[in-house]
Amino acid sequence: MSHPPQPPAWRQPPDTGHPQVVPAPSSGTSAPAAAHGAPAQRRRRSRAAVVVLTLLLLAALGVGAYLWLTTVRWQEDSAAWEARARDHAAQAAALQAELDGVNAELLSAREQLAAATERITELADEKAQLGDETVAAQRYLDYQTRVSEAAGVVATALGQCIEAQSQLIGYLENRDAYDPEDLERFADDVQAVCDEATQANEQLQQELQQ
Amino acid sequence: MRGRRAVVLASSLALVAGCTVLPSLPDPVPSDITPTVAPSLVARGGGNLSPDGFDAVRRMAVRIRNVGCSGLSTGSGFAIDEHTLITNRHVVADSEVLQVSTYDGRDIEVMAASTAGLADLAVVRTDDPLPSYPELAENDPRAGDLVTVVGYPDGGALSVTEGEVIGRTTDPLNENLGEVLVTDAPVEPGSSGSAALDDTGRVIGVVYAKTSDGRSLLIPLSTVQQLLSDAAAFATLPPCD
Repeated sequence: MSHPPQPPAWRQPPDTGHPQVVPAPSSGTSAPAAAHGAPAQRRRRSRAAVVVLTLLLLAALGVGAYLWLTTVRWQEDSAAWEARARDHAAQAAALQAELDGVNAELLSAREQLAAATERITELADEKAQLGDETVAAQRYLDYQTRVSEAAGVVATALGQCIEAQSQLIGYLENRDAYDPEDLERFADDVQAVCDEATQANEQLQQELQQ
Repeated sequence: MRGRRAVVLASSLALVAGCTVLPSLPDPVPSDITPTVAPSLVARGGGNLSPDGFDAVRRMAVRIRNVGCSGLSTGSGFAIDEHTLITNRHVVADSEVLQVSTYDGRDIEVMAASTAGLADLAVVRTDDPLPSYPELAENDPRAGDLVTVVGYPDGGALSVTEGEVIGRTTDPLNENLGEVLVTDAPVEPGSSGSAALDDTGRVIGVVYAKTSDGRSLLIPLSTVQQLLSDAAAFATLPPCD
């Protein structure tokens, strides 16, 4: 049975008050020295482990405390946001209701506006049609006035013709009392008046037939 | 010894890394919350309305009554500026008096009228200001483009009809120099002089006739602009004999 190799043991130098350099022993150290160093090394390891574990525990405690604080803060924050959200939701609902009402009024106003514009268009058209009728009536009235005036002129001319012819007939009944040349000239004048009256009457008749 | 240091180092790094993934404390709740997107205050569905509820398309149209030397006729027209109307030559021809009224029935006093010799176009100047006038398009429309005609068909109420540009043809009436546009927008007698507009409300032509198969003929914008740019192209409307 062989022993495992042991690390070399450090020999305690004599206390001379001055540091001394002691050469390391060769690998062939004695077994009692190695057996004496192992417990100390275990103690150091244990101590180091305790330190590490303590540090880890402290770190875990710190992290835990931080997480607890974070959770509490987030809960408070969440509650605040929820309250704010509910408040805004209430405002949004009220505004939505108000908006719906305004939109309904707007829709009604637009319908009234459309009806009003349509009515304005109808009234403009009625006014235009009345204007057309007025102009047409005015033109017809002017025409009737011109025809009446022309008829009056024709009637006057025909009356003058008749009057002249009556006068001529009277002269002819008493032919001996007048110069024949004068009678002939008067008859020509009467004929001219009657021709003009007849011509005016024919024009009037043609105008009335159009 | 090295392994122990490595473990300690790894533990430290893990601790630091773990700290970085820990949740941070919340920010305090703000007292005033503003939306990330500002609310829009633009009313929807308003369209291109004027204060009286009529859109610009209707506001620019006018009805023209020609109290003629030998009769009465009506036609349409549209404003191109505050005191100038465009219509057809045959709408104002042989007139003793021209009477113009707007979409809302207001009468507009006419100052003078002149007609073009090379196209069925006329320009009417007014004393009173016109309610609205459109922009002219930059180019003539192409086949398939939408067209809107606004006028007074049959001398009746103001109406708006729509259709598409079918193409170009030579003028069957020989009234206009060059080609004219053919559309399927419905028109009637009395629509002569109506503005033909594109889908953005800009003028692309002037209605002047209707074909036997129900199509409408337009004087294209290019002809209108060509004549408007030449002052000698228009002559004063002669009075009644």
